[in-house]
Amino acid sequence: MTIERTRTDILVLGSGGAGLFAALHAHDHGHGNTVTIATKGLLGKCGCTRMVQGGYNVALHNGDSIERHFMDTIEGGKWLPDQELAWTLVSKAPERVRELENEVGCFFDRNADGSLHGKAFAGQTFDRTVHKGDLTGIEIINRLMEQIWKRQNIRKLEEHRALALVPTSAGDALAGVLMMDVRTGRLHFVQARAVLLATGGGPTMYRYHTPSGDKSMDGLAMALRAGLPLRDMEMVQFHPTGLLAGPDTRMTGTVLEEGLRGAGGHLLDGAMRRFMADYDPRAERATRDIVSRSIYAEMKAGRTSPNGGVYIQMSHLGPDKVRKQFKGMVDRCRDSGFDLAGGLVEVVPTAHYFMGGIVCRADTSTELPGLFVAGEDASGMHGANRLGGNGVANSTVFGGIAGDEMPRWIAANGGYRAPDEAVLALEAERCLHPFRNAPGNVHALRERLMEVMWDHVGVIRDANGLSRGLAELDAIEAELLRTGVADDDRAFNLTWHDWMNLRSLVETSRIIALAAQRRENSRGAHFRSDFPEPGAFETSTFTMIRKRDDALQITDEPVRFTHVRPGQTLIEPVLAAE
Amino acid sequence: MPRDTGDTLEVSIWRGGQDGAYQSYSVPSRDSQTVLDVVTYVQRYIDPTLTYRFACRVGMCGSCAMTVNGRPRWTCRTHVSKVSKGGNLKIAPLSNLPVIKDLAADMRPFFEKWQEAKGVFEPTKTRHDPVEAIRPNEPARVAADEGIECINCGVCYAGCDTVRWNADYLGPAALNRAWTLMNDRRDSGQSQRLAAISTDGGCHACHSHQSCQEFCPQSLNPTGSIAQLKRLATKAYLRGEIGS
Repeated sequence: MTIERTRTDILVLGSGGAGLFAALHAHDHGHGNTVTIATKGLLGKCGCTRMVQGGYNVALHNGDSIERHFMDTIEGGKWLPDQELAWTLVSKAPERVRELENEVGCFFDRNADGSLHGKAFAGQTFDRTVHKGDLTGIEIINRLMEQIWKRQNIRKLEEHRALALVPTSAGDALAGVLMMDVRTGRLHFVQARAVLLATGGGPTMYRYHTPSGDKSMDGLAMALRAGLPLRDMEMVQFHPTGLLAGPDTRMTGTVLEEGLRGAGGHLLDGAMRRFMADYDPRAERATRDIVSRSIYAEMKAGRTSPNGGVYIQMSHLGPDKVRKQFKGMVDRCRDSGFDLAGGLVEVVPTAHYFMGGIVCRADTSTELPGLFVAGEDASGMHGANRLGGNGVANSTVFGGIAGDEMPRWIAANGGYRAPDEAVLALEAERCLHPFRNAPGNVHALRERLMEVMWDHVGVIRDANGLSRGLAELDAIEAELLRTGVADDDRAFNLTWHDWMNLRSLVETSRIIALAAQRRENSRGAHFRSDFPEPGAFETSTFTMIRKRDDALQITDEPVRFTHVRPGQTLIEPVLAAE
Repeated sequence: MPRDTGDTLEVSIWRGGQDGAYQSYSVPSRDSQTVLDVVTYVQRYIDPTLTYRFACRVGMCGSCAMTVNGRPRWTCRTHVSKVSKGGNLKIAPLSNLPVIKDLAADMRPFFEKWQEAKGVFEPTKTRHDPVEAIRPNEPARVAADEGIECINCGVCYAGCDTVRWNADYLGPAALNRAWTLMNDRRDSGQSQRLAAISTDGGCHACHSHQSCQEFCPQSLNPTGSIAQLKRLATKAYLRGEIGS
């Protein structure tokens, strides 16, 4: 197959908060560099920033401080975050929110006096979450995409999938990215002086998951093959209540908001018995991780609703009141045929966010010169757990930094680099692999992957399950490589993309299982029933995995407490006393 | 194979490009089943080459809008029982937009018109200035808020008769966005926007058929926004601020 070749100074992969901000900054302050933004779906419509409901954590309000936001982030992350990255996140967030309001045109909710409203959000000691109702992501992405569409000099490649990071022959830098035009099925190599990887994580390898359907961990799979180190890969955040609508429903796994439990919603097992008090005195109001584990335990014990989950019940609070207070959720359930206000709705824990990702510096640069990373593909900001409201702050803060940094880096590091033609040919062949085999059932394999990850690498893990999971992953991969796709029409062929998605997911699933096997303690999102204790914070390590000569190397790296040590705080005593 | 109700849906789906044709499929009917689930079933179990578009699955991204039994809708949030006529479904790409393949329409003209209507914020301040204090009950802000929750899914555009008859018409979503910006006192693009929406394809082309309002899945009222724009444009014309 011929590979077309094009060039751009800066290539941005992804059009969530990170990608759009990077393109905006690279264009506006980029000293005339050509900027291309490529996205797997439609610009600003795929990806997960748009789905942000909660809001944006920022220390902008009287009485709050950067230090306080920082401490909440570090403690929420169970002392695993890279403190330089976390500090950059919290200290740059105020400027980014002002930029969103004053330059991009977002309008966030106000107090009666006209000042920015900050709402309370779990795990935080200050009401600092700026929001637009419960559709914050839509406001941010809509306004950003308008700004990007306005800038006609930014080249937009919609429905373009990134296939591989292609290095130079010497392997000392990135040369560009092999891409596919989804609409035609044709390959092209985009040579770029600097590339931002911002494709978003999204743990969609679990039977129940919240991220959008385009997400398949392509960014991390590409980075792994390019030899980059990945950290915190065992850290998969589960949301306790995803909608359970039965088999073959796209809506299954999508979030039913936490506020339902906060407002007094009950969780019932298959026999209509409230069970949360068996696990935690706070019952349904316990933290996300505890509620997720409790529901998962009920499911493992077989005390389930007809579709294999548990029930959420709101009706005892008064259906009319529920309908009014949770209009969006009630409408969403109604559209799939469920009565949240007056009846029972089946729910399950659902894989929500991926804390793991590529090791990077605070300026978004990576070990591979020419490659930058931001958003959910990057790692180290959240440690073992991400606070609600820190996700969109992360993508927009670091996306903007990448857009500032790439032109600077180009100015200092010169021109285009020639790709390793052997890697390019190999990667092109890799995506054509399914056409060499007889067509098979890609979807059945995807279901099998989701079962394996849910059962063995899920909310509660142990050594036996993880080994079984790893063996199963090998078997699934082997079968995938024997499973073909009919080569009758390559244009916009979703089944071919399902195959490629599955391959990315299997590769990253293996890394998750290996990291989970390695961490013999329980921190934040990672829970081992055979090692339920968190271990000493003072000697905390994070897992790091990379591929070298086709072998996976895994190490434990010590956390460097560059700003604050466990047991200490940066919060001034006068504030701490409040 | 998943449980079904024993009934079958007869589904007719547009295949090919602009000059394509409908093809029929039998899909098992389920208690819990959206139109997107039906389309997904066809791709997974009957014809792996079927093309369609979706992303978020919950009505936030506006990627999955299609024409279902003659009317534009989000397919992810449309339960089959709400639209099926005696177990029959006819599914096509959105109208008034070029077809890429099967159920995927080309959204570019929609977003180009959004820009033609100056549907983009023009800043007066920078990231170094404080966030502007604006009371949520100021009348202009209330007006902007009423139209702001558009997710640019294109349903109104696909359902608009004026768009069908007049290729230059900017359409309900773009004009609705322009109206929200006319009420944003932080914005500096007001006069250019007013000029842009006063051209032949602008707000005066709207015949107030109100299909946009009827079809909008977010219950917005673009017709109302356009009526307000007409008033603004007429006033500006009378004051000599914009040409005819």
